[in-house]
Amino acid sequence: MRPGFRPYFEMLVTWRYRLRNGLMEKFDPRARWIFSLAFLFAVTLFWDARFLAFFFIIAFVWYFSSRAKWKETRRGWYLIGFILFMMIVINTIITGGGAGGVVPPGGHLVWPQGGTIPLVGWQFHFGLTWERLWFAICQLLRIGAISAIFLIIPYTMDPRVYGVTFRGLGLPDRFAYSMELAFRYVPTLARDFGTTLDAQRARGYEIERVKGGIIKQIVRIAPLIVPVTMNSILTGEDVTNAMDLRCFGTRPRTWLQKLTFHWQDYALIAFSIILLVGGIIMLYAFHLGNFWVPEFWLKLAGG
Amino acid sequence: MQKKSWKFGTREVVYAAIGAALYAVLSLATNWIQLPSAGNVSFRPAIVIPMFFGVVFGPIVGFIAGFLGNIISDLIAGYGFWFWWDLGNGVIGLVPGLIAVWMTTYNSFKDIVWGEVFSTIGVLVGMGIASISEMWVSGADMSTVIFANYLPAVIPDLINGLILLPILMIAYAAIVKRSGR
Repeated sequence: MRPGFRPYFEMLVTWRYRLRNGLMEKFDPRARWIFSLAFLFAVTLFWDARFLAFFFIIAFVWYFSSRAKWKETRRGWYLIGFILFMMIVINTIITGGGAGGVVPPGGHLVWPQGGTIPLVGWQFHFGLTWERLWFAICQLLRIGAISAIFLIIPYTMDPRVYGVTFRGLGLPDRFAYSMELAFRYVPTLARDFGTTLDAQRARGYEIERVKGGIIKQIVRIAPLIVPVTMNSILTGEDVTNAMDLRCFGTRPRTWLQKLTFHWQDYALIAFSIILLVGGIIMLYAFHLGNFWVPEFWLKLAGG
Repeated sequence: MQKKSWKFGTREVVYAAIGAALYAVLSLATNWIQLPSAGNVSFRPAIVIPMFFGVVFGPIVGFIAGFLGNIISDLIAGYGFWFWWDLGNGVIGLVPGLIAVWMTTYNSFKDIVWGEVFSTIGVLVGMGIASISEMWVSGADMSTVIFANYLPAVIPDLINGLILLPILMIAYAAIVKRSGR
């Protein structure tokens, strides 16, 4: 068996959520979504490291209020680390891309004289500037803050309340019900997938064979995907009939879980509004929060 | 019975949920397949699910299958919530759904070609939306967006989708014929 496949498959039906009694869990899931989205829109208004540091602190206070452990969340952080590496090291620092038009052209070069490659003695000029390095720090703060806010959601939000939460946020009843149904289908389909995999293996199917090109590998996956998909479509017909017989959709739906706002939820929503509206006012009325490089940083460049 | 493109009745509610759950489960189950000589790019044959559900059940079902399926898959894997990539995956299902009303047998040459063409457009547009949003969120420039986000997402999605979609369409045609649905 190819390493990595079985452990991944075994945890298919394992949701990341468990009750941790963290401060974050005291808030209504609707208030938490409002906060997360307001935070996202507010933080993306700024490229000034002072503002970004403020958001970064808020994000990690929020993150640590979940009581999630590093061991639990490290997988997600590895992915974010990879994205940050691509964005910051490869683009901003090594290739010196345009940084989205945020960093003004020109600036103070880190190696104005260029450098020499030892042994071969070739000269090279590296266009990295101190401004661009500062921009990399800003990117780190901004992406880190957004990641902390959104990475923690699956670990702290009960999958059973997604449907009612999004209904409460104004999503149409049918869409919210679809969401609820999808969450409940996941363990069933994961079990079907496992059964199909075992059945195909019993017939000599070798999913782990890595011989052949990529097209062969994709075609080899078809004996798994096709039966699981077709079986679920046939099951869907029965579920549709059962729902129709129970008059689904003739009147607004009631939900098993009931969500109620408390004072702390109103406080969080008020804070979210202040964050977003305050950010908009800062940027558009006072013109604060655009990309800025501190004096001490430029002194390092000798400028 | 005449097909309606934007209908969202009981049948669509159920198939949107099944599509989303299926996309999530198959994404996780096939995440271990890697592109040869590009170890960091995960190959996702399950991308065919939103395309297929779009082609068969319409744009809303296709959209929910992609959008919600990606959310669930990320939630289970512990990757968090990345709205713009979820939206991009939704568009991958929505665009092929636009031709659902014109589908007749699902296994005819014409149906398969239209399915492939609209799925390709869906991938190009959907991943375009997701990648460009990185400019807003991460401050990346266009070249980074194209080479670090867009192409690594588009190429495997197209290869997987274009190979697996006809297989699923032909299998579905057999089911339709057998069950008279």
